[in-house]
Amino acid sequence: MYFCTMRLALLLLATSLLFISCDDNEENNNGMKKIVVTTNIIYDAVEFIAGEKNEVIGLMGAGVDPHLYKASQKDVLKLSSADMLVYNGLHLEGKMIDILEKMKRTTTVIAVSDGVDELSIIRSDEFATPDPHIWFDAMIWKQAITYFTDELIKWDPSNASHYFERKEKYLLELDQLNIYAKELLSEVHHSQRVLITAHDAFSYFGRAYDIEVYGLQGISTMSEFGLKDVSELVTFIIDRKIKAVFVESSVSEKALKSVIEGCEKQGHEVKIGGMLYSDAMGKRDGPEGTYKGMFSYNISTISKGLK
Amino acid sequence: MTAFWIIFTGALLAASSGILGSFLLLRKMAMIGDAISHAVLPGIALAYLVAGFDTNYFLLIGAALFGMITTLIIQWLDKRIKMQTDASIGVTFTFLFALGIILISAFASQIDLDQECVLYGEIAYVPLDLIYTASGESIGPRQVWILGVNLIIILIAIVAGWRGWILSSFDEEYARSLGIKTTIWHYSLMMLVSLTTVVSFESVGAILVVAFLVIPPATAYLLSDKLKVMVVLSVVFGVLSSIMGYYLAWVLDSSIAGSMAVSAGMLFLLALFFRPKEGIVVKWIKFSK
Repeated sequence: MYFCTMRLALLLLATSLLFISCDDNEENNNGMKKIVVTTNIIYDAVEFIAGEKNEVIGLMGAGVDPHLYKASQKDVLKLSSADMLVYNGLHLEGKMIDILEKMKRTTTVIAVSDGVDELSIIRSDEFATPDPHIWFDAMIWKQAITYFTDELIKWDPSNASHYFERKEKYLLELDQLNIYAKELLSEVHHSQRVLITAHDAFSYFGRAYDIEVYGLQGISTMSEFGLKDVSELVTFIIDRKIKAVFVESSVSEKALKSVIEGCEKQGHEVKIGGMLYSDAMGKRDGPEGTYKGMFSYNISTISKGLK
Repeated sequence: MTAFWIIFTGALLAASSGILGSFLLLRKMAMIGDAISHAVLPGIALAYLVAGFDTNYFLLIGAALFGMITTLIIQWLDKRIKMQTDASIGVTFTFLFALGIILISAFASQIDLDQECVLYGEIAYVPLDLIYTASGESIGPRQVWILGVNLIIILIAIVAGWRGWILSSFDEEYARSLGIKTTIWHYSLMMLVSLTTVVSFESVGAILVVAFLVIPPATAYLLSDKLKVMVVLSVVFGVLSSIMGYYLAWVLDSSIAGSMAVSAGMLFLLALFFRPKEGIVVKWIKFSK
């Protein structure tokens, strides 16, 4: 009887082992080199600059929190077949960064944040994890994109002039966005320039466009918020007569709801000013599916909410 | 090679956890893996406070230390205080996990520190994490070596301690009357469990380890009442789940660890319905006759 079950189990095992040999053959990519990119915010720039000459593949889709991202079976094949890997760095991609760093031995791996001048990187104190949300300051993002393009040209010098041209176009867009942001936000009264969100994703944004920024959680979307954080934030909102708080596309809005309720109990009405894109952009085919679309959407939502 | 390395890693994990899980199941301690996955948090926090960031080895040592402390406390509450086993596990890991949360929010709130993103690995990344020799040859993924060595340690221990473990698992009084030091066997098993779980968490992530420690042994338990057979069957079912899981993930383009755990669950259901004599289907056929 036991031997019967045992034999059956072993037979099952043996038959399934036969299947192991298949798959793994990558589809052919008409000779183009593969550039694999982590977040869709970086993907936007890489596709714009290198997309005509290379196959650019994004790993994380719309609304994916890079901290919680889990690679699927096909993602692994994409990663292992990549000729170049591009990621944000500064711990944004969590433990995946360890792997990307190790892949440097065999592949070209670029962390765009390496191009950002060390002094512009925000840390809450000397020992704290750096804030990875560098793309919210269009001028700092310019540094990152320039660095990426330099590395790209080193990697593929034959298309140097093409890449350079595309980069200049992209940087021009960033300049325009920067001016647009400054103009639109200057319409908000100084005392009202306070951005309250679920997690600290907007420090760079706040510094660049002169807005005070408060996040309920720390910079990681995983950390817990304490009761004191909520009550402090409630007092702050009432003191400053803040009109709106903002939810984020990749973070649950539950935490902020408790702040809004806290304010209501004390007779201060604060509304949800809208949803902001923080760690990921919108769907690729929608209006917020590009860096430009996402950035201008955030700016107009914030200025509408606070005015 | 991607598929091979991932399945092979899954199989190594399945073998270690199938062996240990069978003993844990018999001791009503099957959920100890889940307990350890939470209880390592204070170890990670302390490692960070002592050594700072970017020190993976300290994190692993801190986690392993707290894995051992967890099993020691559980064992002590269970055997000495005579508390119910489920309560011993529950009290220990919730307390330690909470301690970790407090440590982090009090001393390290601005830091990205939780077991999910600093300690736990992901089986999907195994084929990318290769070890190279000095001459630049790849000698396979790091995790395969780690889990392989771990499995060898378990195999040596089980061959050396088979009698001790069996007797102390089934009939403590009898074992003691034979002069077997049951305490030593209890603790040695627990040490092996905490070592295996922490090392595996780091290599392939928590959910898969917890699933493989419980589900294949539970499936084997349905099909056999001999420990030796049960151990072999749990290993077989675990390996089978890794293979099935990889292809399930391939078909659905989904999480590999998740698919492997789901496959283990499906095998359990199959055994539940179709096992000879007591299977639900067999009983139903007999009943309708």
